[in-house]
Amino acid sequence: MRDFSYLRADNIEAARNAAALPGAMLLAGGTTLVDLAKCGVAEPATVIDISHIEGLAAIDVGADRAIIGALAKMSHVADHAGVKSLFPAVSEALWQAASAQLRNMATIGGNLMQRTRCPYFRDPQNFPACNKRAPGSGCSAIGGVTRGHAVLGTSEACIATYPGDLAIALVAFDAEVDLGGRKLKVEDFFLAPGATAEREHDIHPGEVITAIEIPGSAAARRSTYIKVRDRQSYEFAAASAAVGLELEGDGRTIRDIRVALGGVATRPWRARAVEDALKGKTLAEDTVRKASELAMQGAVDHGANHYKIALGPRVIARAILKLGATA
Amino acid sequence: MNDQVTTSPTTLSLHLTINGRDHALEIEPRVTLLDALRDRLHLTGTKKGCDQGQCGACTVHVDGERVLACLTLAAQVEGRSITTIEGLADQDGTLNAVQAAFLEQDAFQCGYCTPGQIMSAVACIREGHAGSDEEIREYMAGNLCRCGAYPHIVAAVRQAAQELRS
Amino acid sequence: MTVHDMKHADSDSARLEAVGGRLSRVDGPAKITGAAHYAVEQQLEGLTHAVLVGATIAAGKVTAIDSRAAQTAPGVLAVLTPDTIMELNGASDWLGNPPTQATYSPLVREVTFSGQHIAAVVAETFEQAVAAAALVKVWYDETPAIVDLSDRRAGDGIPIDAMTKEWGDAEAAFAEAPVRICTAYNTPREFQAAMEPHGLIARWQGDELTIWEPSQWLDGMARTYAEWFGVPFENVRLVSPYIGGGFGSKALALAHSAVAAAAAKMLNRPVKLVLNRPQNFTSYGGRAATRQTVAIGADREGRIQSIVHRGVNETAVDGMWVEPLGSVTSIMYATPNFSSKQNVVRVNTVVPGAKRAPGENPSAFGIECAIDELAHELGIDPLEMRLINYAEQDPHAKKPWSTRQLREAFAAGAEAFGWAKRSPAPRSMRDGHQLIGWGVAAGTYPVRRAYGEAVVKILADGSVEVESSSIDMGQGTYTILAQTAAETLGVPVEQVSVKLGDSHFARAGVTGGSRLAGVMTGAVHKAAGQALDELIGLALSDPASPFHGLQANTLHVRDGRIASPRGEGPELSIAAFMRAVGRDHIEARGDTVPANFTPEQRYNNYTTIATAIPHTEGDYSRHSWCAHFVEVHVDEDFGTVRVSRVVSALDSGRLYNPKLAESQWKGGIIMGIGQALLEEGIVDRRHGRIVNGNLADYMLPTNADIPDIRTISVGIPDPHSSALGGKGVGELGIVGVAPAIANAVFHATGKRVRDLPITLEKLI
Repeated sequence: MRDFSYLRADNIEAARNAAALPGAMLLAGGTTLVDLAKCGVAEPATVIDISHIEGLAAIDVGADRAIIGALAKMSHVADHAGVKSLFPAVSEALWQAASAQLRNMATIGGNLMQRTRCPYFRDPQNFPACNKRAPGSGCSAIGGVTRGHAVLGTSEACIATYPGDLAIALVAFDAEVDLGGRKLKVEDFFLAPGATAEREHDIHPGEVITAIEIPGSAAARRSTYIKVRDRQSYEFAAASAAVGLELEGDGRTIRDIRVALGGVATRPWRARAVEDALKGKTLAEDTVRKASELAMQGAVDHGANHYKIALGPRVIARAILKLGATA
Repeated sequence: MNDQVTTSPTTLSLHLTINGRDHALEIEPRVTLLDALRDRLHLTGTKKGCDQGQCGACTVHVDGERVLACLTLAAQVEGRSITTIEGLADQDGTLNAVQAAFLEQDAFQCGYCTPGQIMSAVACIREGHAGSDEEIREYMAGNLCRCGAYPHIVAAVRQAAQELRS
Repeated sequence: MTVHDMKHADSDSARLEAVGGRLSRVDGPAKITGAAHYAVEQQLEGLTHAVLVGATIAAGKVTAIDSRAAQTAPGVLAVLTPDTIMELNGASDWLGNPPTQATYSPLVREVTFSGQHIAAVVAETFEQAVAAAALVKVWYDETPAIVDLSDRRAGDGIPIDAMTKEWGDAEAAFAEAPVRICTAYNTPREFQAAMEPHGLIARWQGDELTIWEPSQWLDGMARTYAEWFGVPFENVRLVSPYIGGGFGSKALALAHSAVAAAAAKMLNRPVKLVLNRPQNFTSYGGRAATRQTVAIGADREGRIQSIVHRGVNETAVDGMWVEPLGSVTSIMYATPNFSSKQNVVRVNTVVPGAKRAPGENPSAFGIECAIDELAHELGIDPLEMRLINYAEQDPHAKKPWSTRQLREAFAAGAEAFGWAKRSPAPRSMRDGHQLIGWGVAAGTYPVRRAYGEAVVKILADGSVEVESSSIDMGQGTYTILAQTAAETLGVPVEQVSVKLGDSHFARAGVTGGSRLAGVMTGAVHKAAGQALDELIGLALSDPASPFHGLQANTLHVRDGRIASPRGEGPELSIAAFMRAVGRDHIEARGDTVPANFTPEQRYNNYTTIATAIPHTEGDYSRHSWCAHFVEVHVDEDFGTVRVSRVVSALDSGRLYNPKLAESQWKGGIIMGIGQALLEEGIVDRRHGRIVNGNLADYMLPTNADIPDIRTISVGIPDPHSSALGGKGVGELGIVGVAPAIANAVFHATGKRVRDLPITLEKLI
């Protein structure tokens, strides 16, 4: 790890000012920054510790919306009674992420800034080519070991999978990220690689995430997050789905549905084609399975990750049918 | 060869509160809590298994919550209360209920992951995540054990949780 | 000869402290409080830190190294390269073969695998060494690498004639058999992944070298260090009080060990070098990738007529590892015709090494899946299939088994599991989206025997010390040796302290192949018996002894008190007796080494495996046996496999401590679950590099992956296998687990996965 200087910010203004310094990086839970500094991926000149700022960890949940402070810990949000009852998919995405220790460290704001687990990205010594780390240097993953790589939202520059869980649920329920001066949809906060794989988030120097805001809805109240992986726990998703469902009074007709996919795309992936195909339809297994296939429109595999094209829709269908069965 | 001893100009003077005691340290900002404990303070009960947040062997408590010392900068926890395996038993040596249950259930073999398992288990029970075997398994999944003591770890956590409830 | 009151009682009824009792680990309190100091946790004045720089190519030449930036980085004391590191002598190998080269450099210019050590940086602090190591620049002239067994340029490999086992006419009998199957099974590169990384602290004082290093073989490693540096064996002291898991990986002094010891000598300061986790995947070998084909011919009643087996394992370009793939194939089932042959293929990897049950583990995967396939082909229950072909004697050695409780294991396991309720057709059991499958497989591991020694001391206060340079990496050596000494001497086990892990103690051979418990309980039993003889002899003959002149030809020691058998005369504690006769200790060095061994043979006995005793020596063939019954749930949409139930019945002979043996069996079973479902070193074929060399991507099972596991001991004391009747424990548990799971997955899904691990994409 390169040496760096350490500054502790006592308030958000100080954090913003310090974050604008060249080579400055914000430290909250440390689970991404310290990890990537050890890998040689992050090389901060100055680390700005924002974890001691007070008043940024509040969790405020109502039927109309949840506002979660950027420094709230993943574990606290996962266990929050209001989140569990009004936004179950958010709680489920959180408790299935990482491990209990990491969730006690990682903050909600930091979680949005989590970087890909692409093994080529994480190993600059052995794989110098990576457009995320060194724009224009190429992509070591293409043509390499791609079992975990994305099939949606990829480009010639990058096929790295977005690894997180929480953001999948946030995207499904139209959550917004509050950057202090401006707010934007979480879905827009995450950028597809395109030709600029190094830009993963719509955030500028000096900006600090202060909160996320999730609008309440009937679909959010009846929601779930299903995560599929070889290992039962402590593994990133092979594929995951956050789904919310609202039925008409007949208990069979879909009034509102939200679908987002994780583990298969370069960014949290809202599957609107699936939603559109199911709105107004009667909930039935074959309808659901067929519609779920639409999530993979435009999918491109790189051999070893081909299975994700089959797996993604099955996870979506399972989540929808599970919610339908809990009427 | 360069035999000059040089120190970084960015050395920090820190005070860490560990197991109720104050420790003064002069270290670089990049020193993790794990290396501060093991290399500087000679508190080697906290183990280094992967040094990258993937095994749980370095689990300690910060302000009562279980975290990984390998991904925590020492500088970051100044002002917080840190508990390590060395501080878990009572002053008189009476074992914590989890420690005693680990011994009784033979919940370890080589012992290397054990301090992390025990610190994790104490927190797991305190968090209210030891309600069933299934829940214990999930909430202890962040502590890898290559000797494969898992079923006995579950038994020990179950036993300690019952003792602490009664 | 004195009468020793040995209680070969049934394990569960034995007193805690006796051999066979369920005594909790005596090293447990240190391990649960953080007081157990592992090798690299020694605190030394002036300690420096070394970090390695590894090759980023798999084959080629280092053309230049620029270490200027590293040299001048803060805190750096030295940058070692192939040009600057001191020259070492070549060392003999673990078989005792003399070195093939006169000199040895652990830092290389000729690269034969990715991650091979090129340079090392030594600095005042760990952080400084890590940072400076990243500044070392290396240029290469890269040449094409052979990356794995599927590389076309790798060819068929080198035949290993010593692995050939043949009887009858296997090919002809197979061709004529009415029912035939011929299938191929692959296992990937797997890693031991002990939780404690490899590493060491090396310190020179004059020409004396002390090494603190986790070690499964102190004496063997001390020999290597002594030869590298040209110092007498006695000048090297290896210290390894606790070992954070080894599983076969920690038996040899390796290149990184040599770098640390050389750096310490060059700087004249103690050096600590610990491999980071990724380096633990490239600096020493895991289990070699293997391929096998198994052809079985049988009659319509399921009786095997012939087995034709061919195996291949990968080895290194510059090192030889043979993973004996025919070891289980050749003994598990009775067959009149048999042929097994094996090749090894050189690829650009670090030399593969021993991982829990080397040979038997992949061998069982082949034959135990194949027998299941044959059973399915014939419509015979897979358990019945195994009984039909039960080998009543060793089919290869043509000798009777010393003991073989495998039939009992099948019966006990099937009963506890409820096997009789199995619905035979694949895909016929389910719970919602979960397809349920039941599978069975057998396992075995040979009883490896060796000669050992131990020192037992009775001290003035009546306490007892046992000393041995053997080790405890979690198997329970501390505990069972305390039990052995306590029982033999008749003292409470709390009065016994066992000292292990120091090469200056009584010598010991390798801890591997499940041999240590048998070897060391035998040695301690003998040494303790000698100490007891001396104590009693002294009590009867020393004029100052309260027992002097007593009309008895022996005395009893029970609960640490000495008395005559019929109760006449005094009764007193060992401490009081020692005071009476004015002795501060009684010491006995006992060994089981043949009396005619020369000093050189004795040295080789502990520092090489040249004197290991074949398991088929004499009149018997000696093996441990087991049967695993497994239930899996396979998600029909996702392909994810979860093991939901395991019942294993095992024959390890007599158990010295059932509580600890059960733990070790379960540990093996759990490692087998990882092998079956998760573990695979994945190679980037363009770079010849493992890309998942870390604990997030090379996945070990977590607690959430493991169900409750029931183990049943069906062993009986085996007097032909060890002094106290035990066979092997540590390796046995893993053998047969992967095939039992693969067979259960077939039963659940109707899909036969013959390439491990069984990951989800293979089932969707």
